[in-house]
Amino acid sequence: MPLTALLAAAAKGPLDTWSPTFFSGWTLFLPLIALLLIVTFTIDSRRASAWISVFFALVAFAGAVVLLAIELRHPAYKEHTLTFLQFFTGQSGVASEFTLQWGFLADPLAAAMLLMVTGVSLFTQVYALGYLRREDGVVRFYLSASFMTFSMSGVVLSTSYGELYFFWALTSVATFVLVGHWWQRDAAARAARKVLLVTQVGDIGLLAGIIYIFFRFHDLGFQALRSQYAGGKVGQNGLLIMSLLVFAGVVGKAAQLPLHTWAPDSAEAPAPAAALIHGAAMAATGVYLLARTYPLFIASPRALTVVAVVGGVTAVAAALWALAEDNLKRLIAYATISEIGLAVLAFGAGAFSASVFQAFAHGWSKALLFLGAGIIVRELRTESIAEMGGLWRRMRTTGVLMLIGAAAAAGIPPLSGFVSKDAILSQLLSQPNAAVTAVVMVVTFLSGLYMFRMFFSVFAGPTVRRRRFEPERIRDPGGRIRTGMVALAVFAAAVGLFDLVRAGPEFVRFVTFPGQKSGHAASLIGSVLTSLAALLGLAVALLVYGLRALPASRISGRVPFVPRALSRAFYLGDAYRWGTENAVLRAGQVADWVDRVVIDGAVDRVGGGVAGMTGPFRWAPSPRIPQLALGAFAGLLLLGILAGAVLGHLKL
Amino acid sequence: MNALIAVPLQSTTTTSQPFANVEIPTLLLSGIVWVPTIVALALLLFPDRTDAHRARLRSVALTAVGLVAALGVLMWYGFRDQGATFAYEEKRNWMQALGTSYHLGVDGVSMPVLLLSTILFLTAVLASYRVRDRVKEYFFFLLLLETGVNGVLSSLDYLLFFLFWGMQLVPAFFLIGTWGGGPRRLQVAWKYLAFGLVSSGLLLLAILVTAARAPSHTFDIPTLHDAHLPVAVATLAFFLFLGAFALQLPVFPLHTGFVDAQSEAPAPVAAVLAGVVTKLGAYGLIRVNLGEFQDVLHKFRVPLLALALLTIIWPAVAALRQDDLRRLIGYVVVSRLGFLVLATVSAQPVAVNGGVVLMVADGLSAGALIYLAASLIERTNTRSVRAMGGLASRMPRGAVLWIFAALASIGLPGLAGFVGQFLVFLGAYSADRKATTIALLGVLLTAGVLVWTIQRLFFGPLPESLGSVRDLGSLELSYTITLVSLIFLIGIIPGFMLLDNVNFGVLTLLTRGTG
Repeated sequence: MPLTALLAAAAKGPLDTWSPTFFSGWTLFLPLIALLLIVTFTIDSRRASAWISVFFALVAFAGAVVLLAIELRHPAYKEHTLTFLQFFTGQSGVASEFTLQWGFLADPLAAAMLLMVTGVSLFTQVYALGYLRREDGVVRFYLSASFMTFSMSGVVLSTSYGELYFFWALTSVATFVLVGHWWQRDAAARAARKVLLVTQVGDIGLLAGIIYIFFRFHDLGFQALRSQYAGGKVGQNGLLIMSLLVFAGVVGKAAQLPLHTWAPDSAEAPAPAAALIHGAAMAATGVYLLARTYPLFIASPRALTVVAVVGGVTAVAAALWALAEDNLKRLIAYATISEIGLAVLAFGAGAFSASVFQAFAHGWSKALLFLGAGIIVRELRTESIAEMGGLWRRMRTTGVLMLIGAAAAAGIPPLSGFVSKDAILSQLLSQPNAAVTAVVMVVTFLSGLYMFRMFFSVFAGPTVRRRRFEPERIRDPGGRIRTGMVALAVFAAAVGLFDLVRAGPEFVRFVTFPGQKSGHAASLIGSVLTSLAALLGLAVALLVYGLRALPASRISGRVPFVPRALSRAFYLGDAYRWGTENAVLRAGQVADWVDRVVIDGAVDRVGGGVAGMTGPFRWAPSPRIPQLALGAFAGLLLLGILAGAVLGHLKL
Repeated sequence: MNALIAVPLQSTTTTSQPFANVEIPTLLLSGIVWVPTIVALALLLFPDRTDAHRARLRSVALTAVGLVAALGVLMWYGFRDQGATFAYEEKRNWMQALGTSYHLGVDGVSMPVLLLSTILFLTAVLASYRVRDRVKEYFFFLLLLETGVNGVLSSLDYLLFFLFWGMQLVPAFFLIGTWGGGPRRLQVAWKYLAFGLVSSGLLLLAILVTAARAPSHTFDIPTLHDAHLPVAVATLAFFLFLGAFALQLPVFPLHTGFVDAQSEAPAPVAAVLAGVVTKLGAYGLIRVNLGEFQDVLHKFRVPLLALALLTIIWPAVAALRQDDLRRLIGYVVVSRLGFLVLATVSAQPVAVNGGVVLMVADGLSAGALIYLAASLIERTNTRSVRAMGGLASRMPRGAVLWIFAALASIGLPGLAGFVGQFLVFLGAYSADRKATTIALLGVLLTAGVLVWTIQRLFFGPLPESLGSVRDLGSLELSYTITLVSLIFLIGIIPGFMLLDNVNFGVLTLLTRGTG
C-alpha cells in the first residue's frame, strides 16, 4: 500500500513528533465525537447522521492506519495515562494511595486490533448506508454503531484492568442495543435481553478477577503488573483464580462454552449490526483480552490448559452445530463461535501470535459473510437455507463475494483464513501435542465442510419455489452495499499475504509477545495439513451439497438422534431456559410468598396486637388538620426534653 | 464566593450570648434545614380554593425547594476538605442543662447526601403536578419532610438528631396515608409509621444509653465519638442504634413495610423515600455505628455481613416475581441498600468512599426510575408489568431515560452507580472475600430483574390498548433529565463531582472510631 509506505517513511522522525499515543487517543474519541454530534445536532436527520458517522469512522480508520504505520517502524509499548480517581486511604505501605488511571496505549497488538475494529466498523457502516435506506431507525443504528466502535476501541486501547472493564461493559450494552435494533419483534427483544444477561455473567466474573488482582497487587495497570505475576507475590492457586476469572470475561464476550447461547440469537440483529458484533466485537474483546493479559496466563500453566480445553471443545461443538443449522444467519454465528474457539484454543496451547492473527483475520471474512447473508435474506425473504438455492445465476456479485468470504473463513489457500490456521498449526507443531493438533485439523475440516455446505446450499442447485415469491425479481445489490462488501472482501483475501510469502510486515512477527517465541516455525507440514483438511471439507461439501451425489438427507435419515441434538445445539440453551424458569423464577416466587405471607403476616400480627391494646385509631389521617403533624412534632419534642431532663436529674 | 467558603468556627463554644458570633456563612446550614419549614408554615396562610390558588401554592413550594437546592449547590461549591472536621459548623446554646446544644455541621460523608436531598426534593415538587386535592397540606408535609431529612443529615447533636428523625417520619406517614394511590394506603401508612416509631424509640434509647454512660455529660456527637464507653454499654448502644437504622434502611427482613409504601405512596413521595429517606439509615450506620463503635462493629462483622448479603440477594430474588412496577422498583432499591451495609461493615476507606458515592448514585437513579414508572402507570392505567410492552414506539424518550436509569442501577460504567459499586467492591474485598464475591452475584440478579423489565416494558409488539400513549411532556422531561444527567456527570467525572471532597471526612470518621 503506497499510503502505508508514505506514512511509514514520514514516521521515521523522532517519536515525539509522531506520537503513537496521540493517534490512538484520537482514534478512540472520534466515534464518540460523532455520537455527540449526532445527538446534539442531527438526531432528526437520517442522511446527515449517517454521513457524520461514516465520515468519523473513515477518519478513525485513517488514524488506525497511521498508528499501524508508526508501530511498524517503532514497535514499542507506549502509553499515555491520566488520573481518573485518586485519594489517600490513610493506610501505610503500597495501599496508602488509591489511584484509578485511564489512558490509551500504542503497541503492535493494539494497532492491529484497532485497524480491524475501525475497518470493519467503517465498511459495515458504508454498507448500511444502502442497506438500511428504507428501514426505520437509521439514526439509531448509526448511534449504536458509533457507540460500539468507541467502546471496542476503548477496550483495545485500555492501559489498565479498570479502564478495560469500563469499556468492556460498554461493549455489552452496545451489543444489547444493536441486537435489539428491531425491538418490535419479540424474538429480537428476547435476544437482546439474553445478550446482556449472559455476557453480564462473564462480565461479573471479570470484575471479580479485577477486584482480586487489585487486592493482591494494589495496582491495575497492565504495564506495571506485567512483571509482577510471576514474581512470587501470589501463589499458584491465586494466579489460577485470577486468570480463570479474567477468562470468564472472555468466555462471556467471545461466546465460548458454556456462555455461548447469546451469540446465535444475536443473529436477530440487522446484517450490518451482526457483522459488527461477530466480525469485530467478539474478537476485539475476547481474544484481545487474553492476548493483553498473557503474562498472567503464562504465570499459570493450569489456567492455560483450561483455556485450551474450553476453546477446543467450543470450536468442535460449534462447528458441529453449524453443520446442522438451517438458519443462514445462525449458521454464520455458530461459525464465528467456532473460529473464535480455535483462536482461544491456540492461545491456550501457547501459539499466542497465531491466536491473535486468527482473530484478526477472521473478523474481515465473518463481517463479509454477515453482510452477504443480509442481502440474501432480504432478497429471498427467508432465513432458511433449505428454501434457498440457485442464486449463483441471479446474484453473481454476491455469490463471488460470499465465495471469497466462505473460502477465507474455511481456510482455503491462499486466503487469510488459511494463513492464520496455517500459522496456528505451524506454531503448534514446534511443540508437538497430538491432541491439540488433531483438534485444529478437525475444526479446519469442519469449517471447510459447513462453510461450503452453506455456500452450495445457497448458490448451487435449483431455486426452491415458494408461494408469493418471484425468483425473477432477485437482484444483486449495487452502490454502497457493494462498496462495503468489496472492501471487506479485499481485506479478507489480502490480510494474510505478507505472512503467506513470509516477507514484509508479517503479522506473526509484528504482534509479538515479549519473552515468548514468535514467528513461523516455517513448517511445510503445517501448510500441507491445513490445506488438506480445508480442501477435504470443501470436497465433501461439494459431493454432498454441491453435486448432490450423496444427498444429506440420506445420511441424516440413517442416524436417529444425532442430527436433532445437533440442530438444538445439544439442548444446552433449553437446559438454561429450563433452569431459569424452574430454579430462579421459582426462587423468586418463594421469596415473594415469604415476604407477603410470613414476614408481612408477622408484622401485621404484632401490629394488630399493639393496636388492640391501644384501641382503634379513629382519628387516623384526616389531612385537613396539619395541626396534627405539629402536635406529633411537639409531642416528640416534649418526649425528648422530658427524657433528657429525667436523665439529667438522675445523673445516670 | 468568599463568604461561602466553609470556615469552621471553633471558638463558638465560649459564647454566653447565643447570637454573638452569628455571621452569614454560619447560617447556611440553618437555612438549608429551616427554610422549608418556614415556607411550610407560611403556606398555611394561603388559600387553596381555586386552581389559581393551587398554582400559587405550587410555585411558592417550588421557590422554597429551589432556594434550598441552590443553597445546597453553593455550599457544595464552597465545601472543601480544609483540615477541620466539620464545615459550616454552627453551635448555639440550647437547653444547656440537658447537655445539649444546637450544633450543626457537615463533613465529606453528610454533605453529598445533603446535596442529593435538596436535588431530590426539588424534583419531587416539580413532579407533584399530579396532586390536585388538598394541595396546601400536601406541600406543607412535603416541606416538613425536607426539614426533617436535611436536619438529620446536618445535626451534630444526638438530641437534635433524634428530633429531626421524628420530623421526617410523621410527614411521610401523612403523605402516604392521604395522597397514596390505592385502597390499602391507610394500612400501609400505619405500618410505615409503626416501623418508624419503633426505629425512633430504639434511637432514643440508644442515645440515652450512650449519653448517660459517657464520661462527660453531653449529647454532642463529635465529643461522644471521642469518648470511651465501657464495652458492655458500647455493645448495647451499638445494637440499639443498629436496630434503629436497620429499620430505616430497611434491611432484610424488615423491608416489607417499605416495599408496600413504595407501591402506595404518590410518586414524588416514593422517590424521596427511596432516594434519600432510606439513605438516612445508611448515613446513621456510617456516622454512628461505624464512626463511634468501630470496635464493636469488628466484633460482630460476620453476622452483619450476612445481614448485608441477605439484604442484597433476597429482595433481588423476590423482585423477579413482582408484577406491580412500583413494588418491583422498591425491591430493587432495597437490594441496592445492601451494598451500603456491606461498605459500612467492611470499614475500609475505599469502600466507605464508594458507599457515599453509591448513596448519591442510587438516590438519583431510584428517583428517576420511580418518576418514570409513575409516568408509565399514569399513561397506561395499569401497574402491571405484564400488561405493558412495546412502549418504546410510543414513548421513545421515556424508554431511553428509563434504560439509562436502569443501567445506572446495575452499575454500568460511565454512569454514577459504577463508581460507587466498584469502589465498594474493591474496598470490601480486602475485608471479606467471600461476602464480596456473593455480593457480586447480587449485581447479577439485579441486572436480571432490570434488563428483563426493560424488555417487558418497552420492547416487543405494542398491545392494542396502549396505542394512544403519549411520550413524556416537557415538565416530566425537565426533572428526569436533571437526574439522568447528574448520573452521567458523576459517572464520568466522579472526582470533580463528588469524591475529591469526600475522602477526608471518611478518613477522619474512620480514625475517630478506632480512637
